[in-house]
Amino acid sequence: MSAFHFEGLVWHWPIAIYLFLAGLSAGAVFFAIMLKHFKLAGEAYHSPFVQAAAIIAPIAVFGGLGILVLDLTKPLDFWKILVFYNTTSVMSMGVLVLMAYQVALFAWMACIFNQMILQLLGDRLAFVSSFIKWLVKQEAAITGVLVILSISLGAYTGFLLSALIGFPLLNNPVLPLLFLISGLSSGAAATLLGGVLLRGNPNGIEVRFIHGIEIPMILVEIGLIFTFFVGLILSGGQSQVAALNAIGYGFWGWIFWGGVIGVGLTLPLAANLWMKVSADRKFTYVAVTASFSLIGVFLLRNFILYTGQMTGI
Amino acid sequence: MEHSKRQFLKGCGALLAGVSVYTVTKSPLAENTEAEPHSEIKYAMVHDENICIGCNACVEACREVNHVPEGVTRLNIERSGPFGEYPEQSYRFNRVSCQHCEAAPCVRVCPTGAAYIDKETGIVAVHEERCVGCQYCIAACPYQVRFINPETRTADKCDFCQQTQLKKGLAPACVLACPTKALTFGNLKDPDSDLVRLLKSKPTYRSKVDLGTRPKLFHVQNIDGEIML
Repeated sequence: MSAFHFEGLVWHWPIAIYLFLAGLSAGAVFFAIMLKHFKLAGEAYHSPFVQAAAIIAPIAVFGGLGILVLDLTKPLDFWKILVFYNTTSVMSMGVLVLMAYQVALFAWMACIFNQMILQLLGDRLAFVSSFIKWLVKQEAAITGVLVILSISLGAYTGFLLSALIGFPLLNNPVLPLLFLISGLSSGAAATLLGGVLLRGNPNGIEVRFIHGIEIPMILVEIGLIFTFFVGLILSGGQSQVAALNAIGYGFWGWIFWGGVIGVGLTLPLAANLWMKVSADRKFTYVAVTASFSLIGVFLLRNFILYTGQMTGI
Repeated sequence: MEHSKRQFLKGCGALLAGVSVYTVTKSPLAENTEAEPHSEIKYAMVHDENICIGCNACVEACREVNHVPEGVTRLNIERSGPFGEYPEQSYRFNRVSCQHCEAAPCVRVCPTGAAYIDKETGIVAVHEERCVGCQYCIAACPYQVRFINPETRTADKCDFCQQTQLKKGLAPACVLACPTKALTFGNLKDPDSDLVRLLKSKPTYRSKVDLGTRPKLFHVQNIDGEIML
């Protein structure tokens, strides 16, 4: 059985990229909100890290949706998904979340960068200015809704796969949580990488804050992956076959142990723990650690998508 | 302000959780035996594996009647074997096609409602114009019998010839084409039908019933050849 082409394979790598980008967008927004709420307050719009998140989040979600639309067999009919809804379909609910998420995302960005936007507008388009001023008054509510939506979006990609009852590796209650946590950590990593590329201080409070959350998050992720596979193995039958097929020998076994566990989790965790006791953080350190996390999460999405479809009931 | 914001957030969260749990429990897979009171018809099929000789006449008849392009098929006869030593050799044949589940996973996951259960007949069918080709139904079907039709680019599958033979008042093409009469098609709700009589006279099994899909394709198990584990 070849790693990328086998009987029964329905969803290919474009779906993995979409799953990755949706989680990344949700995570970047989540951490930008946390940064503003706990550390930066009114100064948030100055921070290169918040700016990076504000660039990454919409691009990632649009990119992901673009890939998704192109992957349809009838891309020009994509609007039908927006018009017809099926309340029992995880995908329908996800599309609703995605739509609401994008609205809330832009409303939140308008609030955060309101001074810049108002300055840019000057006297032109008075109604836009007054609309933004009105949005700023609703910032608390918008932020709250966006937090809920970003968490929903992060978990949704997991629910999307876990609704496939024929594949024990995917039809697994831990999967949405695993996707949520790994999505959040990819968003954190993207925010850090983007921030230092925008000449943010690699030793600033933003980096320290995110890194502080990253250690427990990586530990939770390791715990979830452990639960995920031990749960499958203890269930026996095809679940056990699916789990051992995925993390055993072969191409995807290497990706899992080397890519997901090694590069994606162990190295960033070691680097974070080591940095906690040592001196200043440098650009290279932040950039490399973040890249490792991103690679790890991207490989995890591919790994789950492909190995998940390999073994059916 | 701080207090009301927290309350608002909690309210939103609770509402969201409530709505999602509600919609999931409403799903066709959760035991929902609400019968259709108006419909008198519920089609089903029996494949007798003892009679089937694996000639594939059903596959070809289906292709012709339903204009299924080369390279894809609505129906497959899976062959296993040979069992035993020549000349005492035998094969086993298994029909693989849409099972017309009572609780169809493809219908549950379809985002546009393009996959649906016809209330009049119980047939799992596809609204061609509504399908966008997301392939969620193909991934969700535990029997792996759905495919994308390369000509229409929509999800395609066996519909018991609903659009072709049934409209003319005829039995499905595969049933008519079968030279050994291994296929029996009929109405589950009609106690006098050949289908119900057969189901009552021979022990049958259905595939993957533990998934809760309640398929309506019945098989009479082959009793020839080796015992397999």
